[in-house]
Amino acid sequence: MKSLRPHYLSVSIISYNMGFVVLGAALLMIIPLATSLALHEWNPVLDFTLSLSVTSIIGIILIVFGRQARLKKLRAEWKHGFVVASLSWIVLMLLCSIPYVLSGNAKSILDGCFDVMSGFTTTGLVMTQDLDHLATGLNMWRHLLTFVGGQGIVVLALSFLMKNTGGAYKMYVGEAKDIGLVPSVRGTARIIWKISLIYLAVGTAALWICGMYIGLSPLPAFFHGLFMFESAWSTGGFAPYTQNIMYYHSFAYEILTIIFFVIGSLNFGLHYAVWQRKKKEMIKNIEVQSFFITSFLACAFAVYRLSQLGIYRDAVSSFRRVVYNIISAHTTTGLGSVYARQFAIEWGGFGILILIVAMLIGGSACSTAGGFKGLRVGIVFKGIIAEIKRILNPERSVRVSKFHHIKEYVLDDSIVKSSALIIICYMFLFAVCTALGVYYGYPFADSAFEAASVTGNVGLSIGVTSISMPSLMKVQYILTMYLGRLEFISVFALLGYIVEGVKKLCAHLSKRS
Amino acid sequence: MRTLIKAFLTACIVSFFFTVTANAADTVKINDLINKMTYYNGRLVTVEGEAVGETLERGEYAWVNINDGSNAIGIWLTSGDAERISYFGDYKHIGDTVRITGVFSENCSEHGGDVDIHCDRMDIVCKGYVKNEVIPRTKIIAALILFGSASTVTVVYFTHRRFQSKLDARNYISK
Ligand SMILES: [Zn+2]
Repeated sequence: MKSLRPHYLSVSIISYNMGFVVLGAALLMIIPLATSLALHEWNPVLDFTLSLSVTSIIGIILIVFGRQARLKKLRAEWKHGFVVASLSWIVLMLLCSIPYVLSGNAKSILDGCFDVMSGFTTTGLVMTQDLDHLATGLNMWRHLLTFVGGQGIVVLALSFLMKNTGGAYKMYVGEAKDIGLVPSVRGTARIIWKISLIYLAVGTAALWICGMYIGLSPLPAFFHGLFMFESAWSTGGFAPYTQNIMYYHSFAYEILTIIFFVIGSLNFGLHYAVWQRKKKEMIKNIEVQSFFITSFLACAFAVYRLSQLGIYRDAVSSFRRVVYNIISAHTTTGLGSVYARQFAIEWGGFGILILIVAMLIGGSACSTAGGFKGLRVGIVFKGIIAEIKRILNPERSVRVSKFHHIKEYVLDDSIVKSSALIIICYMFLFAVCTALGVYYGYPFADSAFEAASVTGNVGLSIGVTSISMPSLMKVQYILTMYLGRLEFISVFALLGYIVEGVKKLCAHLSKRS
Repeated sequence: MRTLIKAFLTACIVSFFFTVTANAADTVKINDLINKMTYYNGRLVTVEGEAVGETLERGEYAWVNINDGSNAIGIWLTSGDAERISYFGDYKHIGDTVRITGVFSENCSEHGGDVDIHCDRMDIVCKGYVKNEVIPRTKIIAALILFGSASTVTVVYFTHRRFQSKLDARNYISK
């Protein structure tokens, strides 16, 4: 029995923390519930009441089950942090999909889970049907999930609901937000939320005014503004109507969203530095440099190629249709200003290739963006340069290479190695995803495009993602979005933990018999 | 009597011709337009779909987005035409079904490369209506029961917890 004891206590810690995360999700459901109530959408009111009740009951059960953690004042360790983060996402995916399924807009539980995971991971691929007749409450829920998912839902719940957040930093890292702006986790979480909420207010107001200017009536303009801001800022890619950003037919609206998703794809550390008037950080930061170089190159190549093909000849349409989509892909947003099939029909092999590369690189580490992140690309690139220098001048004393990210870092081999390993993991995931698409008979370019979009949590679609897609592919896409968003480590920790637990249990049982 | 028969025949012939012209301008599915956009680019097409969202007025002209179930597209029409549409699709409404004949562009130069149809002629095929929301009774009952139990569980747990921590504090002091 002794060997199982510590494991049991670990389970308590995990269960207790997850209980609070689930309760946090239940509290979030109050927002769409209130929206539907205010707009007299009665079915969604009931759907959200049902979901809210189920979620809070499960939350309390988890807390009660893990009460030992509180009674014995157990502290969370690293592995617990990882496990809570990765397991919470799965549990929340199931619970948060209840309103989708009840509304009938998700045709199955799998489709509901797909949409929730797409929202949480700020991907933006849509499986929900009949968007044009979706209740405002449900739209609120979709966009809220994206917004909260972008800032880190586990962290949000834990740092705001629990008084004692000893282990919260570990969950932070577990959610791929390895950053300490100020020494306390609570402080860091609050800063991230403060930055996001201030932007939310400013951004919604800007889009609201712009919305009325382009012909929306005031109330819908407000909701559109709120939804599109949440979607852009968290680099999500959802929109309230089928046509996505094309619904608005407005250059101004596109400009505003492009500004928001570029800002949103930047590191929170960078935002904080700029808030503290360290403006130089904007230029010196390795991620900013990396992002601007890669996006400039991608845009230049794509604009040149598409104008050569004679598709977009004038500057305005080149900007609105080409640059917009490239930046949207690069920041892993996925708001699309062309139809999905246009990529396949008009952009040609080269255009698709550029988009795939941009989607895989993605935005900044510790932002709302996905992909393997500018930071890692910058580090590996600098690592290669340093290696070449070393080969060329073997006699000279080793010169130390540095890179700047909030502060100066020495570029040592272990940093380069860990960055390269994560990039390899992403590439492997991308390859598996592409292979499955090809296996099911989709053209190679289409499969690769959609795979890059899923791996990088982008959300642009070339038309593969649809309700008629094979179930196995839906499951694979859900897994890929999840792995990509949590940057592997947490999920690997979860798997390791489960294997460890099963081993212990087996050992225990064999001893007994 | 003869004139009556004549009038009847003319009416028949006229209506026959009208149906023929209507058939000639066969509607295209929006998704087919998108999939064969290079072919349809610059051609006169007819689509039929439900007006969704709302009119986006831009001076004398306006945008109306229509969805025919296969996909959705923006229609550029005069404000006067747009005003004839009485219902737009959303959660509470089924929008008017409109038949649009106009020129399709895959990258409209007037609208920054938009994929759109510039409307020449708009007909309202079928008027929309306010959806009446059916609320299943089982749903109401389930929601009430679950909400009741959820609130009970939450209240009981947190009162218990508060009580327990007070007890702990007292024990701590007495020690
Ligand atoms: Zn146009």
